[in-house]
Amino acid sequence: MMRNDPIKHVFIWPAVLVVLAISIFPLIYSLTTSFLSYRLIPPIPPRVVWLGNYATLLQEPRFWSALFTTTLIAFIAVGLQYAIGFGVALALNARVPGERLFRVALLLPMLLAPVAVALVARMMFNPTMGPLNQFLSKFGLVNLPFLTNGHWALACIIAVEVWQWTPFVILMMLAGLQTLPEDVYEAAELENASAWQQFWGITFPMMLPISAAVVFIRLIESYKIMDTVFVMTGGGPGVDTETLTLFAYQEGFKKFNLGYTSALSFLFLIAITIIGVTYLALLRPHLEKRR
Amino acid sequence: MSGQGLTGLSQWSRRLVAVGVLAWCLITVFPLYWVVVTAFKTPPGVVGGPTYLPFIDFTPTLQPFIDLYQGIRGEFFRTFLNSTIVGLSAAAIATAIGAMAAYALVRFEFKVRLGAGLVFFLLALGFYLLFNATFGLTRPQALLLAFPIALIAAVVANRLPLPGPILGNEDILFWFVSQRMFPPIVTAFALYLLYSEIGRLGFQLIDSYVGLTLCYVAFSLPIVVWLMRDFFEAIPIEVEEAAMVDNVPSWRIFIGIVVPMSMNGLLATFMITLAFVWNEFLFALFLTNSRWQTLPILVAGQNSQRGDEWWAISAAALVAIVPMMIMAGLLSRMMRSGLLLGAIK
Repeated sequence: MMRNDPIKHVFIWPAVLVVLAISIFPLIYSLTTSFLSYRLIPPIPPRVVWLGNYATLLQEPRFWSALFTTTLIAFIAVGLQYAIGFGVALALNARVPGERLFRVALLLPMLLAPVAVALVARMMFNPTMGPLNQFLSKFGLVNLPFLTNGHWALACIIAVEVWQWTPFVILMMLAGLQTLPEDVYEAAELENASAWQQFWGITFPMMLPISAAVVFIRLIESYKIMDTVFVMTGGGPGVDTETLTLFAYQEGFKKFNLGYTSALSFLFLIAITIIGVTYLALLRPHLEKRR
Repeated sequence: MSGQGLTGLSQWSRRLVAVGVLAWCLITVFPLYWVVVTAFKTPPGVVGGPTYLPFIDFTPTLQPFIDLYQGIRGEFFRTFLNSTIVGLSAAAIATAIGAMAAYALVRFEFKVRLGAGLVFFLLALGFYLLFNATFGLTRPQALLLAFPIALIAAVVANRLPLPGPILGNEDILFWFVSQRMFPPIVTAFALYLLYSEIGRLGFQLIDSYVGLTLCYVAFSLPIVVWLMRDFFEAIPIEVEEAAMVDNVPSWRIFIGIVVPMSMNGLLATFMITLAFVWNEFLFALFLTNSRWQTLPILVAGQNSQRGDEWWAISAAALVAIVPMMIMAGLLSRMMRSGLLLGAIK
């Protein structure tokens, strides 16, 4: 039952005001700035260039490479997170021995500061004192260029992302698995369906809505990746691992090229919106079939 | 909740699955073990190559932590305090006003015309340009003036019979949650410029407690509203209805009945928000520079400041990590009681 009482405004307005002020406000500010040629260093008065900044950006190879890098990290990392996370969640749900102990350990990484995690990763991947290289050298792989080669560095960043955020997938999938009705499985059991058939016939389709939500959240969050890359490689070697956020940071905070950076962040916003909408559109038929 | 999904597996495959989970668990825990161990090593103990077991491989020392406390590698003590103060207050404020908004969205009916929303955006943009370009006001002045005008106009417009769809509670919730979709760099950068121009008007927001906390409150609110709505929806409405029959005012129902009943949910939301603020990097990077620097910034700086002094870096990382480790323990206890189940539906 919905009540109607003037006091409802007292309840909702503080939150609305704060969010409006802090998020819509800067939006207007940077939207208008993105049409200007505006630099703080050297200080030149703002000049209206309309879509000039956007045109320059779209011709800038560094922008496309940052977009590509970010997309690569986001899709591969989220794919791995989902596969591993779903697997571990299934196992935990099936009461694997020692499951209680696992839960705390498995929850941990997602609560830790990405900055600290990235520092730990640098230690792990360190060529001289890192345990990983020592371990691998036993198999004849000596001194792999973990953070100094572009492809390796990208793989390392993806590995760290997977390490940190798989727990989130585990947590959500586990909670989803626990809401599944039991009688369906009992029926399948009577029909002598194998575990494999049960998974593809019952579990996977029934988990599709929550899977879609989890992957969506992770995908959007992964596109914002910044701190991990900032600490692990700083975008290097060269600009091989530079992500969109890092690119915007370099342009804005190092060069103080305001109009350009504002345009860049709006292109970023558009890119994320396109990806989000495409994702939802692709998934909608599958989700609605189930209802 | 019995074992689902794996019922058809043989004994051997069950063992295989257990080994797989154990392997993932080791992968998760080993880096954490490594950072703890490294933090207690002496410089020669680190440089000489990987060593694993304290007292056997190397002799542990407390020196890195003593260095940290004495401020040899930056003012750790004060930064830790900053993080704690900003984290606790931002999480508390966000949970409080977020919970109020979530409750309003669950129990009261709201109607917002899409037209009114458009009026707000267009007027805010228009007046900003007008004040800035025509009357020569500075950009923050123009924004600060345009905002209330547009807001009042939008509230008035909401009462007029404008054409276009009427948005309900679900849409307001979606608006809240969609704020999380924005790449934070868009806002962080604009907020930095806005804060620094407001600073030129004489009100210091960059590198200040108010500025940082306000920004964190705004960015935690979407999560808080989203989580708390599910908790409030799970509360049976009968109790509230009984109180309403006795003419108890709504605010007393909220504080006296609803809040105590959803204490666990509030606590979990508070902790999740605290973790989010504690770990946040991008906004702190833009909005602080010395006095109100937070831990993630200082920890990230360790990397370049004095080269690869891994023992000290580990100790620094550990300081940032340990409070969250404790929270993970607390949260997982709540998770076991099925508390977070409702939050995802």
